[in-house]
Amino acid sequence: MIMSNPDRKLQKMVIDGVEIDYTPGETIYQIADRSGKHIPTLCNDPRLEPFGGCRLCVVEVDGSSNPVASCTTKATPGMVVRTNTDCLEEYRRVLLELLVSENREIDVDTLRGYASQEFAELVDRYDARSGRFVGVRSGRSRTDDDNPFILRDYDLCISCYRCVRVCAEREGDYAISVMNRGFRTQITTEFEGLLADSACTFCGQCIQTCPTGALADRKAISAAELQGAVEKTRTVCPYCGVGCSVDILTKGDTIVGVHPAMDGPANLGALCVKGQFAFDFVQHQDRLSAPLVRGEDGELHETDWDTALDRAAAGFSDVVANHGRHSVYAVASGRAPNEAAYILQKFMRAGWGTNHIDNCSRA
Amino acid sequence: MAVATDRELLERWRSEPAPLLPLLHAFHERDGFVTEDALRAISRGLRTPLADLFGTVTFYHHLAREPGGAGAARVCTGLICRLNGAVELLERMRAEGAKAMPCSGGCDDPVHVLVGDDVLVGTAAGTLERRPALLPPLNPGDSRECVFSHIRTDDRARIDVYEDTGGYEALKNAVRDLTPQQVIEIIAASGLNGRGGAGFHTGTKWKLVAEAPGEPKTIVCNADEGEPGCFKDRVVMDYDPHAVIEGMALAAYATGATRGFIYLRYEYPRALVILENAIAEARQAGYLGESVLGTGSRFEIYVRRGAGAYICGEEGALLNSLEGRHPFPRNRPPFPVTRGYENKPTVVNNVETLAAAAHIVRNGADWYQSLGIGHHAGTKIVSLSGDIQRPGNYEVPLGFPLRTLLDDWAGGARPRRAIQAVTMAGLSGGFLVGSHLDITLDEPSLRSRGLFLGAGGIMVFDDSRDMIEMAHAAMEFFVAESCGKCFPCRIGTQRLEERLAGRAGPSDLGPWLDEVNDIGRTMKAISACGLGTAAPLISESLVKYFPEQVERHVRRSRDETATLKR
Repeated sequence: MIMSNPDRKLQKMVIDGVEIDYTPGETIYQIADRSGKHIPTLCNDPRLEPFGGCRLCVVEVDGSSNPVASCTTKATPGMVVRTNTDCLEEYRRVLLELLVSENREIDVDTLRGYASQEFAELVDRYDARSGRFVGVRSGRSRTDDDNPFILRDYDLCISCYRCVRVCAEREGDYAISVMNRGFRTQITTEFEGLLADSACTFCGQCIQTCPTGALADRKAISAAELQGAVEKTRTVCPYCGVGCSVDILTKGDTIVGVHPAMDGPANLGALCVKGQFAFDFVQHQDRLSAPLVRGEDGELHETDWDTALDRAAAGFSDVVANHGRHSVYAVASGRAPNEAAYILQKFMRAGWGTNHIDNCSRA
Repeated sequence: MAVATDRELLERWRSEPAPLLPLLHAFHERDGFVTEDALRAISRGLRTPLADLFGTVTFYHHLAREPGGAGAARVCTGLICRLNGAVELLERMRAEGAKAMPCSGGCDDPVHVLVGDDVLVGTAAGTLERRPALLPPLNPGDSRECVFSHIRTDDRARIDVYEDTGGYEALKNAVRDLTPQQVIEIIAASGLNGRGGAGFHTGTKWKLVAEAPGEPKTIVCNADEGEPGCFKDRVVMDYDPHAVIEGMALAAYATGATRGFIYLRYEYPRALVILENAIAEARQAGYLGESVLGTGSRFEIYVRRGAGAYICGEEGALLNSLEGRHPFPRNRPPFPVTRGYENKPTVVNNVETLAAAAHIVRNGADWYQSLGIGHHAGTKIVSLSGDIQRPGNYEVPLGFPLRTLLDDWAGGARPRRAIQAVTMAGLSGGFLVGSHLDITLDEPSLRSRGLFLGAGGIMVFDDSRDMIEMAHAAMEFFVAESCGKCFPCRIGTQRLEERLAGRAGPSDLGPWLDEVNDIGRTMKAISACGLGTAAPLISESLVKYFPEQVERHVRRSRDETATLKR
């Protein structure tokens, strides 16, 4: 959350014995987080409204009989907070043991999603693989949903509702919601249907905020068997003009997936279906790698650039000579960089003397 | 009469505040279940996302999603009804499509059965009888009553009868002679605390709402009496509805509120009709409407029927439910007094609290104070049920000995039986046994023992009952009603239920107790609302007071598992 009111005077509070300044309106979790405290949480995503569901972030506050959720509790002047007493750590360990007991598996491939390791990391931090609290499992994987992008492996779901909230609060799609209640809770769409039949736009944000890998990037995990470590390369999405920052995931020379950059200034972790999933063209076998010209036989034949450009120039010139300068028209790719777009309009306006120039992002 | 069209239903309800619940009920009744088309129409009509609407509908127990489900009979399988043959009755009625429902607040006259909007009393033998709701038994002591003082008057639900015994005088006097601040001062000085369970000082609540910025303000009467073993609000609404309305009108006058809701649990269809009649009468008489008693101040009351969810008795979940949102509890602070219905200042008071307020403004703060024993102010209605001679609602002075209530007022245990345990706060206070029953009913005395009176439900179990079975049935209730928002309650209730059923858990007593205690401690400390913090009191008190039964249970579960493996 961006606090921009310069009139707000800083106040003081105490976290784990240290006095800290804060801006009124900040939550205990936010203050602790920027003070380097690693309060555990599973339902919190800093981009979303605080939810208070997982209860892992509870802290002790002087004057309060029970611990309070630090993510939903705002600091007050002089508040005295303890974030890691033995008692709190014990509650957190029991909670994590309970979570382990409801799931099919804990350790998942990192390719499942950006936040997919959060749960396993906390389980390890709290040594919660005790095997206690055995009982029936929650969540039902939707093996019937064969959409190409989003794996709905709810056997791993812990009902933190980050997916539901990101879909509503960040994407505005309201495609997914919560059905039933208590231990029978399931993440669902309207009428329990497939994502393709719902309001889902396959932006993939639910995948990237899921802390257990229950929602997973189907395209990325198909590369799980590929040899090599996953490398990340920061770049800008090549599609439209918004300029979303992305981290391209590669194994060796192969692109295996895309993560939205949570710190991307234009997108703050958001992407659309194209930026998230449509990267196959880069290494696709049908991609043109040399100029082609059509021969007398009607087929395309590989050639050199000079030949190809001469053929193109001749074609344009013939049309203009026979039909006038407004008989040609250019559509610039939305994926073209500014420089290329500039050259193309120059080519049309100065070169041919027409204003017939447009771009493909008009829809 | 022609069947209402989608458009007519939407037009009818969109003109009122909080339209989602009545719209769902209207479609549900018209079509026999909630159809996909109905949800699409409501989604468009209220501009609510379809997925959200669908998810929210699945939350409620009584909204059927299969054809004919709306008219199916519902048999209460709450603890007390189970002791009286509910399971057998349900089996007999299954063929006709009957369904189980959790405790539906008919514990004084089990087995509680709903067929459509008919309230019936059933037996294990399969008989069903329509008979009037029970009035509170006559107070056998000489202690004075407040809420029940006139409730046994014939036709008390009629406005003229209510007025004959001083009804609406408090409101008339307040509007004529008292400032809103003075009304609040009377309520504050009386010492009246919330009677729904949390026990917040009512005068302070009204004052906070009166002073909070933001309009319009709202009075919500919490009539979602879902706590098992509690049926006191029902009797007040059934037999003295105008007291509730007068209490709400006084609260509105005191705080400047212009709209009121009575959020009524689904399982009280009789109260629904009675309240709606009473509201119409009160409106006709000028106590409600555009200009209350000619003051120029507006106050309207809308009844909103719940759809079957215990959690909606929690005020944050109740407000979300009214607003048409998913009924998860809200994070607090902010509290409803500043951010309640539609984020505006809101009083949320229990039925009994509001009814008492009307009596207090009429008779004065000192009068109410004097009803209690010693320095305890006022009275509390206790719903007594289970293995006791005379179950029912008793209005006791605060500070009253529990033993006197059980043995003298209610006649004690059944013949040749002894009381083994009682519950406190319905199911939310766990079990109490033996010498621990020598307590007085008032918050200080109870709190000093780690107990609380809650909404005032006390269930009695005699020595013929298997306490493991009782505890298991109680935990099944919490499993079914846990909303699923917070982790400790969602998983904890399930794991405790499995252990009490003997279906899962360690086979040795030590580790079994460790698990049950660890879950309980964690739930009590860090659950997000009262359901999660209260549910483990069941297992905690079971382990504490019935160690032999627990040991036998763990051993038996192990032996059964061993047999199965063989």
